[in-house]
Amino acid sequence: MDELDVLKKEWQAREHEFPKFTQKELYPMLLKKSSSMVKWIFYISIAEMILWTTLYFFVPESSKKFQEGMGLNDIFLALNILNYVVVFIFIYLFYKNHQKIQVTNSVKKLMKNILNTRKTVRYFVYYNIGMAAVLMFATNLYYYYNKEKLHALLKSDDFFSSVPAETFIGYNIIGGIIIIGFLILFYSLIYGLLLRRLKRNYKELKKIEV
Amino acid sequence: MTQALEHSFVSQLEENQNIVHKICRLYTNDSDSHNDLFQEITIQLWKAFPKFRGEAKFSTWMYRVALNTAITLYRKNKRSIKTQDYEGVSFKIASEEYDPKVEEQLQLMYSAVKTLGDIDKALVFLYLENKNYKEIADTLGISEVNARVKMNRIKEKLKTILNP
Repeated sequence: MDELDVLKKEWQAREHEFPKFTQKELYPMLLKKSSSMVKWIFYISIAEMILWTTLYFFVPESSKKFQEGMGLNDIFLALNILNYVVVFIFIYLFYKNHQKIQVTNSVKKLMKNILNTRKTVRYFVYYNIGMAAVLMFATNLYYYYNKEKLHALLKSDDFFSSVPAETFIGYNIIGGIIIIGFLILFYSLIYGLLLRRLKRNYKELKKIEV
Repeated sequence: MTQALEHSFVSQLEENQNIVHKICRLYTNDSDSHNDLFQEITIQLWKAFPKFRGEAKFSTWMYRVALNTAITLYRKNKRSIKTQDYEGVSFKIASEEYDPKVEEQLQLMYSAVKTLGDIDKALVFLYLENKNYKEIADTLGISEVNARVKMNRIKEKLKTILNP
């Protein structure tokens, strides 16, 4: 095509018309901090992992009391241990994937590695939300089948003494659904915005190969 | 040691900075963003420099890092979406053979290229830089055949933009 080739000729002929930084101007640039996407993703991912891991330390005392009263302590302890193993595996995978991100890769490979790293964190979040959901339903189901025990426990509690067991379970489930729904919305917004351009370009590159 | 490395890097960057400027020109719309992207590319180049072993030419290595930064790593500033005040500044200097018609054609072509997507722009850029299809394919991570096919499609696309 002639037009692009005209541009090509001119493009090369006019190199000297671009601005030119001197060495003195270039040196300070080396010291500046990067604000790259990978850096952002890294920090956000670390923050997420810390948040989700520390969340387990903040189970309210009242919840713990109920769990203990209902005889669920052992199973929760086992789940906690399992959970730390899973967290550790995720952190390892995240580290491994993050190491693979190299700016000297081809454009496609770089994008793939970034998306893979993100995927690890995404699965970590899915795992946490899923686990929270399953635990919530399982616990409340257990409460439901052991209503008498729960009833007795509620009676002895100052705050919940007038609450019927069914209402207690109902509130638990509604509260849980709202929290989980909010989390899903929050995540789709944050990552939708952050990764939109990257995903679009990666798709574009993949389309070339079809 | 670090000083020698720094010096070697800065002098090579100074010498080849046109490559970075050209990429900035294609991927940004005003001089603030241009400088911003230039800065980010410099940081990425510098970070990757210790691993540059010199198997390839410095400039070849630069294309990859700079394009990766422009396409993937750089987060566009919201303010950069304002106007295209800066379009084609480099074409305004009159040479002895200044031909307003060629000039106009160039401007149009340039604006057309700017409307392309990030990946298409990268292909056009490497093509303008006289890279062969093998190099284009390697830089982008696609096959040579597909790079060629895609380039032909982009040329068609540009033709339609220019002659609606």
